[in-house]
Amino acid sequence: MEADDKLKFSLNIALVSGIFCITVALLLLLNFMQMSKNKPLESKAITSLVKRLSLEPNNDDLKQEIRNFDLLARKAYFNSQWQVKTGGYLLLFGAIVFALAVRVVIGLNSKIELPKAMDENDMISRIIMQRWVIITGSVLIVLGLVASLASVDHLKKYDVNESVSEMSAAVNHNNIEVITVGRNPVTEPPENGLATTKHIIVNASLTDSSSSKAVPVVSPKIDFPTVNAIKTNSSAFRGPFGNGVFFQKDTPVEWDATSGKNVIWKTAISKKGFNSPVIWGNKIFISGADKQSREVYCFDRNSGKVLWQRQVDKIPGSPDVAPKVTEDTGYSAPSLTTDGNRVYAIFATGDIICFDMAGNRVWGRNLGLPDNHYGHASSLVMWKDKVFVQYDTNKMRKLMALNTSTGETVWETARSGKISWASPILAEINGKFQVVLSTEPMVAGYDVESGKELWSVDCMMGEVGPSPAFGSGLVFAANEYARLVAIDPVKNSKVWDSDEFMPEVASPVSAGGLLFIATSYGVLACYDARSGEKYWVKEDGPGYYSSPVITDNKLYTFDTSGKMRVFEVAKTEKILGEGNAAEKVTTTPAFTEGRMYLRTPNFIYCVGIK
Amino acid sequence: MLIVFYLLFSLEGMAQKQRFPKPEFGSGYTQPTPATPEPRALALEYTDVVILLIVLTLASWFAIRKRSRKGLLWLSVFSLIYFGFYRDGCICSIGSVQNISLTLFDPGYAISVTTLLFFLLPLIFTLYFGRTFCAGACPLGAMQDLVIIKPLTMPKWLREILGIIPYIYLAFAVLFAATGTDFIICRYDPFVGIFRMDAQFHMIVLGVAFLLMGMFIARPYCRFLCPYGVLLNWMSRFSKWHLSITPAECIKCKLCSDSCPFDAIVYPSDEKQSNYIKWGVNRFLIFALLIPLWILAGGFAGSKAHTWISRANPTVYLAELLLSKPEVRADQKNLDVQAFLSSGKSMETLVREATLIREKFNSGGMIAGGFLGLVFGMTLLSQITYRKKSDYQPHKGNCFSCGRCMSYCPVKK
Repeated sequence: MEADDKLKFSLNIALVSGIFCITVALLLLLNFMQMSKNKPLESKAITSLVKRLSLEPNNDDLKQEIRNFDLLARKAYFNSQWQVKTGGYLLLFGAIVFALAVRVVIGLNSKIELPKAMDENDMISRIIMQRWVIITGSVLIVLGLVASLASVDHLKKYDVNESVSEMSAAVNHNNIEVITVGRNPVTEPPENGLATTKHIIVNASLTDSSSSKAVPVVSPKIDFPTVNAIKTNSSAFRGPFGNGVFFQKDTPVEWDATSGKNVIWKTAISKKGFNSPVIWGNKIFISGADKQSREVYCFDRNSGKVLWQRQVDKIPGSPDVAPKVTEDTGYSAPSLTTDGNRVYAIFATGDIICFDMAGNRVWGRNLGLPDNHYGHASSLVMWKDKVFVQYDTNKMRKLMALNTSTGETVWETARSGKISWASPILAEINGKFQVVLSTEPMVAGYDVESGKELWSVDCMMGEVGPSPAFGSGLVFAANEYARLVAIDPVKNSKVWDSDEFMPEVASPVSAGGLLFIATSYGVLACYDARSGEKYWVKEDGPGYYSSPVITDNKLYTFDTSGKMRVFEVAKTEKILGEGNAAEKVTTTPAFTEGRMYLRTPNFIYCVGIK
Repeated sequence: MLIVFYLLFSLEGMAQKQRFPKPEFGSGYTQPTPATPEPRALALEYTDVVILLIVLTLASWFAIRKRSRKGLLWLSVFSLIYFGFYRDGCICSIGSVQNISLTLFDPGYAISVTTLLFFLLPLIFTLYFGRTFCAGACPLGAMQDLVIIKPLTMPKWLREILGIIPYIYLAFAVLFAATGTDFIICRYDPFVGIFRMDAQFHMIVLGVAFLLMGMFIARPYCRFLCPYGVLLNWMSRFSKWHLSITPAECIKCKLCSDSCPFDAIVYPSDEKQSNYIKWGVNRFLIFALLIPLWILAGGFAGSKAHTWISRANPTVYLAELLLSKPEVRADQKNLDVQAFLSSGKSMETLVREATLIREKFNSGGMIAGGFLGLVFGMTLLSQITYRKKSDYQPHKGNCFSCGRCMSYCPVKK
């Protein structure tokens, strides 16, 4: 072949391969864009079919149609992937041919080169070089120093202050001691001269931790509520004893916040809070807080009117600056507890306060700024003359029992586990009440009188949010990424466990020999409480943060979209009714006298059969 | 030949392919691209070492004895196919620097014999024969070499300045590897995505950009980025037998002066340079005295910057993130945070681990900074030193021993 022919041939090859490369590259780009836009599982056709399926859950033809569409979408996706890969190889092949052809063309076109002229002055080049080396080196050194000035060493801050919150620095700056041990309360004379006026003011020192020991306090004699009285009311988060089981009848199974169906009343709440209502008699209690202030509210159960609203302030040791908490925990996540004589509230600042039923402050104290990266969330529960506080912080974990009349520490038990956001419950085991806690690594029971650990089973892990439950003689605990465990507290051993469905926030509940779990990804599962046999699973809605509760043989659930579903407490799935709060629900409803009380971000609702 | 390739690709199928593709695409989660291919049978790893040894031997023979550019070219094509496309760019001598660093600083990490040999063999060959590894065995070099179309000559000062970048890259690569942070050479290898055809989009773009640039700036990665090239450069300067342009005595015909696309030919000394000797002596003394200052300043800056640099470490980053933004714990889409939360590890443990790593960065940053200070100081000093050259010779440190210049020389044995 002559040189000219070679040149022409190479040019043609270069041209053809060049066009080939551009075409393949464009097709690849189009394919890439198509793949990015069309996600197989986001197909509109599938979505609409799935929606239809929720209305016609037993339509087998529809299910088959969805499967076919799904398979088609997956095939299309993998086909596109194959096309991209094959196209990539074709492009590479084309590029190699193009490069070789161009090289041949350049080679054939090359002429005899003249020797390179020595036109670069070596000395000038060296001088420029020296200048640039000095500039570059100096810039790098300055950059290093600027980087050091612009960086905040959060790790060092953590080490020095032993705190994860910015609060610690502020508190130290204000010379307010941050301690984890409890201080003595200051009891105050009530405004309207109730029996508690006999309390004396305790001289609580800000710095003397030894003052947490016994201090003589004169307390009035107040009768403790009986078990029946507690069961009649809703004394704590998740009802009597915090166990999720109410003892109310004729509760509503349908309602709608938008249309007002079965809504007896609703009242706006001024301050945000994730705590759930507690009820005694005709009074409903909730709290609200923000970075600046904390409040306790009392509503009339029949009318929804605010009976009283109290600021939580002037508590010795309360931090000037609120600690850092996450948006979804806030400053008043823990629910209150009440014994019918008084109501007790705790906040993310470590402030715990007691009011009587008329709103007179009885005592208030600060338990020490909780070093808690989400914010303190464990609710209170009471029994007889003690209010129990699971006061877990990153530095120290402990269970405290405070005297309901005076707020002073009756006992406190340091615990070896990790920080937990679950709430304590009361369980009657062998005829005696115990405080049961769930945390990593153990689920444990404590004597209500002494705080002594009675039993403990290592079975839990992670950042535990769901509280334990008690039913059928067993304690149930669960946490996402850990396990669902049934424990025999008498034998101090695990009876069964499962890792199929686990809740992140919502607590388990057990009644009628059944156990229910509601997960944050929308699964509601029913198990046999004794054997762990799974009876039914219902997957619907965006997920559960609100704990499922049982009353009147009905299981009440609220998903995070605010949709209520009421199921029969039975081995087979049977939905009894539905409701809608029309806004996000993360709290747990309370029941009394045939009515349901629910807190939403903006309102408190009373729902009953009209 | 076809049978050999068929067997090679069949073996790859057996050794590396995952049996099932990963069908995860519904949750928006992107499968991370693995930094290394699937594990390989030990016998095949040793086969790689033997092949590297053969390729290095052949490359040295082609460059020194046979003086065959064609031989080197086809050898590099083989290396590109074998070490590049067939072996997916891994194992690779360039990346092995990191394994060595990690072995030296982490007693819990044991380097494989294969990796050690991939690190040492090219250096040993370079010490004897110059950078024949770059000429015939490096798939990255081969790929760039093949796309050189119209190489442009860069000003010397610019080449020298850009030539510092590999030292910086080496310092960071060793620092990151020694602290167990990352193998950045592998992660940011612009060509490995092309070899594997599955890199992230931006890495493919980077690789293509390097190839496009390489049409006019010959082998840009090798000259201005390759950290292993720093070590090869050092070794090559002391090489016993190095490729020469002429097989006999240089007749100074200047025909080879424009033959090197990498500007690695050193011209005979300019006589005028003698006029600057006095000026050079003074400056030599100043620059020599400044070297300790450069080292101290570099070490100080490196140490001070350690807080910022250490955030590249995932543990440090996670700990800082959780401490500075605790609300991120509620972010279900942040998989790192969720993985930590589900691990059951306490915050104290995480902070303790992160603090230990940061301490390593403190001392490592000081050493890396000091090393870079030394590089700057020595580079300045090298600009003052003059060595008289009478012939056109390849620069022993920078020459890739590709053999292009040999065919330009009219002198035959």
